[in-house]
Amino acid sequence: MSFKNHQRQQFIIDTANAYTKRKISKRDFLRKMGLAGVGFSAFGMGMLGGHSRGKGLQLGNMAHAAGHSDMNEWLREVGKPFAGTTIRYTSEATPPTVVANELKGEFEELTGIKIEIEIVPLEQVLAKATQDVQGQLGTYDLYYLDQAWHATFFPDTVDPVEYSQEKPELAMPGFDYDDFSAPLVEGISKIGDKWVGIPFDIPIFTFMYRRDILEKHGIAVPKTYDEFTTAVKLITEAEKENGIFGTGLQAKSGHYSLECDWSQAVWGHGGSIFRADGTFSGNDEQGIMGLEWYQELLANAPASSLESTWDGQWQMMHSGQVAMVQSWDEFFPGMDGDDSPVKGLWEMTAPLQGPHTLRDRSAAGFGEIPDWGHQGGSSIALSRYSKNIDAAWLFMQWVCSKEMMVRLTLGGGFAPMRNSSFADPRVLEKARVGAGTTRHLPVVLDTIENYIASEPDMPLWAGLSSNEIPTELGKLLTGQEYGGDAKACMDAIAKIVDTQTAEAGLR
Amino acid sequence: MRTPTYLVTLRYAAAIFVTAVFMFPIFWWTLTSIKPTNAIFNKDEVVWFDFEPTLINYRVTVMGESPSALTGGSTGSGTTMGTGGENSFDGRRTIVDSIIIAVGSTIFTIIVAVGAAYALSRMTFRGNQAYLNWVLSYRFMPPIAIIVPLVFMFRDLGLRDTHLGIILVHSLINLPIAVLLLKSFLDDIPKDVDQAAMIDGATRWQSFRLVVLPMIKGGIAATAVLCFVFSWTEFLLSLFLTSEIRTLPVKITTFVTSTGSEWGFIAALGTSAMIPSFIFILLVQRHLVRGLTMGAIKD
Amino acid sequence: MTDTMASPSENSRSKTRGEGKFWTMPRWLTSEHSFPWIFPATATLIVFGLYPIIYSVWLSLNRRHPVTRENEWNPAWNWSRVFADERVWDAISVTYMYTFVAITIQLALGLGIALLLDSDRKGFGLMRALMTLPLVVPPAVTGMMFLLMYNNSFGVISRTLQSIGLLDPAKPLLSSHETALWAVMVADIWQWTPFMVLIMMAGLRALPKDPFEAAAIDGANALQAFRRLTLPMLSKIIAIAVLIRGIDLFRVYDYVKVMTDSGPGTATETLTAYSGTIYFKSANFPYASAVAILTLVLVIITANIFIKVFKVRF
Repeated sequence: MSFKNHQRQQFIIDTANAYTKRKISKRDFLRKMGLAGVGFSAFGMGMLGGHSRGKGLQLGNMAHAAGHSDMNEWLREVGKPFAGTTIRYTSEATPPTVVANELKGEFEELTGIKIEIEIVPLEQVLAKATQDVQGQLGTYDLYYLDQAWHATFFPDTVDPVEYSQEKPELAMPGFDYDDFSAPLVEGISKIGDKWVGIPFDIPIFTFMYRRDILEKHGIAVPKTYDEFTTAVKLITEAEKENGIFGTGLQAKSGHYSLECDWSQAVWGHGGSIFRADGTFSGNDEQGIMGLEWYQELLANAPASSLESTWDGQWQMMHSGQVAMVQSWDEFFPGMDGDDSPVKGLWEMTAPLQGPHTLRDRSAAGFGEIPDWGHQGGSSIALSRYSKNIDAAWLFMQWVCSKEMMVRLTLGGGFAPMRNSSFADPRVLEKARVGAGTTRHLPVVLDTIENYIASEPDMPLWAGLSSNEIPTELGKLLTGQEYGGDAKACMDAIAKIVDTQTAEAGLR
Repeated sequence: MRTPTYLVTLRYAAAIFVTAVFMFPIFWWTLTSIKPTNAIFNKDEVVWFDFEPTLINYRVTVMGESPSALTGGSTGSGTTMGTGGENSFDGRRTIVDSIIIAVGSTIFTIIVAVGAAYALSRMTFRGNQAYLNWVLSYRFMPPIAIIVPLVFMFRDLGLRDTHLGIILVHSLINLPIAVLLLKSFLDDIPKDVDQAAMIDGATRWQSFRLVVLPMIKGGIAATAVLCFVFSWTEFLLSLFLTSEIRTLPVKITTFVTSTGSEWGFIAALGTSAMIPSFIFILLVQRHLVRGLTMGAIKD
Repeated sequence: MTDTMASPSENSRSKTRGEGKFWTMPRWLTSEHSFPWIFPATATLIVFGLYPIIYSVWLSLNRRHPVTRENEWNPAWNWSRVFADERVWDAISVTYMYTFVAITIQLALGLGIALLLDSDRKGFGLMRALMTLPLVVPPAVTGMMFLLMYNNSFGVISRTLQSIGLLDPAKPLLSSHETALWAVMVADIWQWTPFMVLIMMAGLRALPKDPFEAAAIDGANALQAFRRLTLPMLSKIIAIAVLIRGIDLFRVYDYVKVMTDSGPGTATETLTAYSGTIYFKSANFPYASAVAILTLVLVIITANIFIKVFKVRF
């Protein structure tokens, strides 16, 4: 890496860090990034023509990184006593995990610690982790915790920041906790002052649209919920012949994905899930407005939205069936893949905002943060019951280290957790149309910094968000019950939720 | 009495139609396994044969080749970019695990069940019928009812995530039906045969091993195949009692990811998973057809 | 315990064999006694079956506090909720409905196909062999297979039905409460009808030939022979087949889980599926155990009524 390059990188990191800590305004941030050549528009549009890279990913290899060999040396040294132990963790097949699973061999080679990553669908991760803490089994040394479960597992993990102070000899030099995006740490990993884990994955709602379809119909990129609804109806109507719909949803009954869509709909209309007193507020005026909006959207989306989770929604986007989607940013890189029928056609921008105003977080309950960008982030956390806690700790630091964050991002094109990774030259270089693109990351960063929302932190939430709420919503959306009456459905949910919170002594 | 030709033709037509209907899902699944993603998910039409067949799905899942090397880093979804490292979709170890578990539990089940079946068929002990009912009642048990206790138990016994643990649990699931089947095969053998051996001075064990056992070889084979198939296809218990060890159904469900499921891989490994059981079933079909009367038709 | 087959001569023989040894094996450990024969099976069933069930019953008598996650002894807590829980009642009716309809169709199809394929003409052997193929597909994979074929936008079954006007494109098969249960059932029927065919084939093959020849001489036609002879003679094996399959249907899990996850709403929520949902999603093990134990009790009661009414004997 040339000095000049290095300087530029440092400048970007500093800018990002300053921005994270709110030392500079968003405008300044964008301006400075522009100076550094990270023009946000240039990110996506500039490279559209030249994507003939064909084969082969320029994945960061070990020689690339400055300071990387230091980390390897350190790991080789400090890992010696733990050679031969086996570390386990279980995770959903999210992009960072899949890539980490592919790269773990390097860590094994350095330390002699064996890593087993058990990849299962999301709810099985929850069940298995719950089983583990319930019986204090110590089956898993690390947990993959979805943000919805943090409050549940709060007592079962070791605070990484504290642990690194407790055992300085095992703390990775230059790990730099401040480098983690502050809103992420706040929104995902922290409960009160405790770090439950280290942020590891940040799927967040952004707005994605098909440039070509919007242009064809002369529609400006929607900015508000109202503009979006209008555009969806227009496109669904106009493209009927071509089998293209305005939007697609992840509305599978009984699945967490539906709950995610719903909570964004509620927040986007000025509502919240809980009131400050801990009662359910999805059945207030704003909540009903949000749900009715969602019903309207559904009427203009492919019917298979009803059978889709994030997986199905991805498929709709990828096959060219839908024109706009407000959903997980992680969908994006796959759209640019070489075998994608919509390669280079999707663009990303900030999530929809307005015309309603957000509810203030002080009016919401259980640490809920109503905002425009629903996040489904997760942390990687150290189990208190682990029998090989130090070996697991080494792996956790390795996989969350600056170098690995960059390489995980390069491997899957999803958003990193560290400010420095966003600015890494290798990441910037991939900001062009092609497999595993990173051209959407500036928008993701912007969304994380400015619009991140967060579901409530409460021990019952894991169950409510994946069972009771989406099941009752499913009854409404498919007409099994409630006769299409959003209020009746929300009242029923309110009754269920309020009973449970009262029984648990949470309000 | 000769059947009129038109009836024969009609019967052929009906039989072929029914077989075709039942073959269709498997045909479609196999077809899916050699399709590129664009042909599996095409918004305009259902693609039947108009695609370029590919073996990539098999090369990744069964041969363990790296997805990125095969596709230039872009199969269906963003997650399978591949980094040249470990291939999360490699099914080879899973196949080995599945074979160990299915074969192991089949052997264990047969050994244990044949003893119980022999006692039930040849010995009259107090509560004979009640014992049979007790054994069969385990067939009633919903696997979901025993998962939590088994998890704790396996932790204490060190059986969690071991082949032995799953072998034992699958044996538990298979035992009732195996005992019932083997008993019916044993009942088919006239009692005079082994009694004659015992009168000639053989112990019960000797008469069992030398006289009875050879006569029910076919029945054992048929029962074994059924046990193998049940173990090979079991999902729920394997899922929760293992983490590193994987059986095929469990592995296949992990190809559902948060950014698009790998349907090509799912279909390829799913298709491959059918082959061994199918061969076994064919080998013992004759005995299976006899044994499944379960002693109901004798009088 | 007595073995009727242990004749006096055997007893004396084992005595003489024991002479001259330091230790005589106790009789209950020899192969003459039933104990060694049934012990391994019994032990396996007790350790991995009975004990976990008892544990589950105990668990269901505890209340799990959602915040502290402690289990506290409170026998009435879960059970009073089980009977007040609407979803339990819905699940019971879905379960019985599913079991009853699926078993009827599987039996009718199984018997029909067995009669159809029971021929020694050329090609029928191959078709019989092919018919066993669905049996070897893991049910979880079957679920995924049908999930793909049912997909409202891309699936071959849905698209074909839509193109011939039999399916409203706005009502996905698996996401409409009118059709979802039937669609799941089709997968079950596809997979397990072959099992019924095998059993029925076994029954047909084992039928004695004489009565049929006599009937033919008396001028009975095929339908009469089937009603008067085949069906009565098969009745025992039909009863056993219905019992075995019915129990499996009652506990159906994989298809529901993979294809609809109990949805839409609760339209396909069977008892085991509901138990699984509480277990996996809400992590309330005691309550999930209560529902699972309720399932077990219902299976036992239903099966025993069936055994009594149809005089099933093994």
